[in-house]
Amino acid sequence: MKTAKQKLLFESGNELAAYAAKQINYHVMGYYPITPSTQIAEFLDQMGADGEHSIALIPAEGEHSAAGICYGASTGGGRVFNATSANGLLYALEQLPVQSGTRLPMVLNIACRTVSGPLSIKGDHSDIMYTLNTGWIILFADSPQEVYDCNICAIKIAEKLRMPVIVAFDGFFTSHQKRNCYVFADDQAVQNFIGPISIDNTSLNPKQPVTIGSYMNEPDLMNNKYQLHLAMEKARTVIPEIFAEYEQLSGRKLSALKSYQTDDADVLLFVLGSAYLTAKAAVDKLRDEGKKVGVFTLGALRPFPSEQIADLCKNAQTILIADRQDSYGGGGGNMSLEIRAALQQKGLTAKVISRIYGLGGRDFFERDAIELFNFCYDENSPNFDYFGTYPGEADFNPKPYFEPITDNQSPALISFTEEDGKVTVKGATVRDTTARPKRLAPGHGACPGCGIPVNVNLLLRGIEGNVVLLFQTGCGMVVTTGYPKTSFKVPYVHNLFQNGAATLAGLSKMYHKMQERGELPKGDITFIMVSGDGGMDIGMGSALGTALRNDPVILFEYDNGGYMNTGYQLSYSTPMGAKSATSHLGEKQWGKSFFNKDMPRIMAATGMPYVATAAESEPNDFIKKAAKAQYYAKNYGTAYIKCLSACPLNWGDKPNTERKVISAAVNSCYFPLYEVEQGHTSLSFNPEAKGTKIPVEDWLKMMGRTKHLCGEAYAEIRNTIQQEIDRRWKRLKALSEHPEL
Amino acid sequence: MANKSEIFKNRQTYPISLPAINENGCYEIRLESIGGLGANLCGKLLGELGAAYLGLNAAAFSSYGSEKRGSPVKSYVRWSAPQYDILHNSPIERPHLLVLFHHALSKTLPVTAGVDENCTLVVNTALDPEKIRNDLHLYAGTVCCVNALELALDSKSRINMVMLGAVAKASGFIPIEAVKELVTDTLGKKYPTMLESNLKGIELGFNNVTSQTFLPDQHFQKVEYREIRSKWGYKNAPLGGANTHFGSTVSNDLSPSREGFIPLFLPEKCIHCGLCDTTCPDMVFQFTNGEYKGKPTMMNRGLDYHHCKGCLRCVDVCPTGALVTGKENEHPDKKWFVRNKDLITENLDFEPQGADPWITSESYLDEKRVDGGLM
Repeated sequence: MKTAKQKLLFESGNELAAYAAKQINYHVMGYYPITPSTQIAEFLDQMGADGEHSIALIPAEGEHSAAGICYGASTGGGRVFNATSANGLLYALEQLPVQSGTRLPMVLNIACRTVSGPLSIKGDHSDIMYTLNTGWIILFADSPQEVYDCNICAIKIAEKLRMPVIVAFDGFFTSHQKRNCYVFADDQAVQNFIGPISIDNTSLNPKQPVTIGSYMNEPDLMNNKYQLHLAMEKARTVIPEIFAEYEQLSGRKLSALKSYQTDDADVLLFVLGSAYLTAKAAVDKLRDEGKKVGVFTLGALRPFPSEQIADLCKNAQTILIADRQDSYGGGGGNMSLEIRAALQQKGLTAKVISRIYGLGGRDFFERDAIELFNFCYDENSPNFDYFGTYPGEADFNPKPYFEPITDNQSPALISFTEEDGKVTVKGATVRDTTARPKRLAPGHGACPGCGIPVNVNLLLRGIEGNVVLLFQTGCGMVVTTGYPKTSFKVPYVHNLFQNGAATLAGLSKMYHKMQERGELPKGDITFIMVSGDGGMDIGMGSALGTALRNDPVILFEYDNGGYMNTGYQLSYSTPMGAKSATSHLGEKQWGKSFFNKDMPRIMAATGMPYVATAAESEPNDFIKKAAKAQYYAKNYGTAYIKCLSACPLNWGDKPNTERKVISAAVNSCYFPLYEVEQGHTSLSFNPEAKGTKIPVEDWLKMMGRTKHLCGEAYAEIRNTIQQEIDRRWKRLKALSEHPEL
Repeated sequence: MANKSEIFKNRQTYPISLPAINENGCYEIRLESIGGLGANLCGKLLGELGAAYLGLNAAAFSSYGSEKRGSPVKSYVRWSAPQYDILHNSPIERPHLLVLFHHALSKTLPVTAGVDENCTLVVNTALDPEKIRNDLHLYAGTVCCVNALELALDSKSRINMVMLGAVAKASGFIPIEAVKELVTDTLGKKYPTMLESNLKGIELGFNNVTSQTFLPDQHFQKVEYREIRSKWGYKNAPLGGANTHFGSTVSNDLSPSREGFIPLFLPEKCIHCGLCDTTCPDMVFQFTNGEYKGKPTMMNRGLDYHHCKGCLRCVDVCPTGALVTGKENEHPDKKWFVRNKDLITENLDFEPQGADPWITSESYLDEKRVDGGLM
């Protein structure tokens, strides 16, 4: 076979994963944004908008659903693709054995990242090692070029074996680094290589009905798993065959086991991923010094090439296995444990040393690789250790900068009266509440003009006494708690993106239980969850559960209309028609295709005692609503406040104009201000009555993300948006006018 | 590798030879900036220039993390002759070329780390090389100054385009034709209406570089590239990453995030309404008890500029014109600069901004401001 025509590109691992997916032209991709894999969906969205492929990209509301979308699609017999990282992978994890156990091929890219907590977005291998027992084939690419090559082979391997395949690579080091690379000039070359899809027993053939996903008892399940094992064993021959075929086409060699200068080496180093390349440079330096060293790595973790590894290591005296994750208590990371087992099986007696290195994206320099080699020459070097930790400064005892903000520091400024199921607030004015000490310290890392601290501060002005805050993952959390600093002057807890409300419910229950048992003093604490950046998509179930149980907490949503902490992908609260990194503008696409989620109505449907919307453009109203939320949480149960929160970076407007932009959103009735108290709706601000109502176009044109909608070409979409806003506004007015609603 | 003759090329390459390489065969460039000035894109373009126009092996990456405007960003470019593979993925410690997009960064961050007499610096500044050297406490090297902000405004282009032109000039070996062809092929296709002004910006950058070489002369010490380590390590850090030092971000000095403008406070016009405090994301305004027009009330005492990022939200909401926009360099002394009123420590050592410089994504927005930011 002649090699196919190729062209030079300068691209990153993520770009090349997307490029390969485009050339394969998968039928469906279900996805959910998570750094560092998000770009794959972003690039595919851009290419889709430009008409370069016809893949259906489906933005799920969480990784679990994304995996569900992929699973469902794959039962139909087409080609399916997904990409994720870290906690996204773990959230989807239960779907992985379903996919492999029912033998449905698909390809999942994993840009490897450390698993929370504490939360970090950077690269290591703690996520990918969770997949070792899932029954998926796992390829590992050490460079952007290999990401491309592996992706094209992966789909062919998957369909040949009827097994799902993971293509893993280092987050950031590989996913984000641009390198010279070659891709097939013609998509057809890829299509010819992978061939037409042919999957039997699909769910889309009514003439031949098939049950997918049987209930199985013991012996049947055993046999099913044995079939999976046999397929994995067969992969040991299928993968090299497909790699060889690919080499003919591309001129590039892929291999389950790769090595450099190992033939005569006394000392071997094993590293996985991009560190392999750096280690090669270290080998050259040490060879110049006359040291017989070599390095090896894996191109496939499943099936694990034990025989080849043992063969490669048979003459080595010392082997250092560097793991970018730890199997805590196991005596090494998973690669250590598996390589040790492979050597033992062949009766090899080389000394094996393990080091945990590079966690959380800690850089791996050539000098680090040299130091790892040098451990092998040191007889006193321990068999297991962490590499690169430090003890800290023993005498470090940071002095407090502030008094903690307790009920003593936070003056009582507000009074309440309750009549006919309605609460009235007095004293919560803008001027008076400047006396309230800020519970957040300055110096946080939010962008200039960011709405999040503005809105959180407005909320907290209305809240008296002791406060415990909980932030779900998002911009608000990332910019305030970058270790070793924190902005919070009150107790604060972070939990993952989908779980804040439940976490806070548990905490408030603990508080009351400990008070009941006399373990904590009498008094009061207000518990507040803060979420945004799409957190009410993935975290909606948890929030609804809390509201349905009526736990005495405040749920506060800063709605910045997208996943801003990951670079602005669309969330369900992104305005219809808005551009985002996953709703590009192009000949085939005009921005986000569906309406913004009406979260307050969804929350109100739980029957919770207090629901309100607030805007920084009406600061007095905002502070009063915060005070009411505290009153309701104290006396009746769950309160929910949603505010619209400006994001100058991603809304594409100027930081100093944000209050005007928010005001326009209120006046256009895109974001009407209202309350639902004990089921009764009342408007807080009626732009019609005030004579300030504007068409939505006047708001859309203020932001770079939506101003394209004001052009003639999008008149129809603009009208659709206006109609939906009118419909919601009329409905809201009707609710506010009805005595029972 | 595929047979080179089979790889199709639709463009000419400009044969160059790298003037210097390190022990790994690489010529290395480091760009230091804050988010929003286009340094990340500039780094990618330089990578692509090497790969596709200069016939080199190239690598380009940035310091990674979340998207934030105004936070420090580093971008790295490695070039090698085609016969050498680029094996290193680690940050560039000793650059041949250092590009400073935002020279205010040097106030708080070691941006010149790893610079020696063989390094060439390209600095976006209105100052001359002598002043810049003193400002940066630069050990040695060739300093090339270019007023990229002004030239970007002149050409209706962007800072990063002007900087690209200046980099080509300062490098001594990058042909400006190659840079122009690159920008025409890439940005020109995406934003055709901007092309003419972008090319103009590159040209202005190329033609307006003032340079001077400084030999090591004991004025300033060499700064080595170091990993930033916190004082909490495995022996003394509270378990589980718990942070007991509440409110500690107050010790961050965020002034490098500003882009030249600050709010000025005219206390005589202030009616102490408190609206500025409702719009400030950075808790800059200091209100305490006082008396206004014979009544006891909360009063605005001034601003703590350590934390002001220059967003100017306060100027926009002030109903009486007590807050106005000023150019920061015209107001070195500010009578209304007051310390955060809640602090209980007398001495507070401000530290480098510390926010992790993060880039995870391409910007989805097409429109860019003249200064390189988003519209």
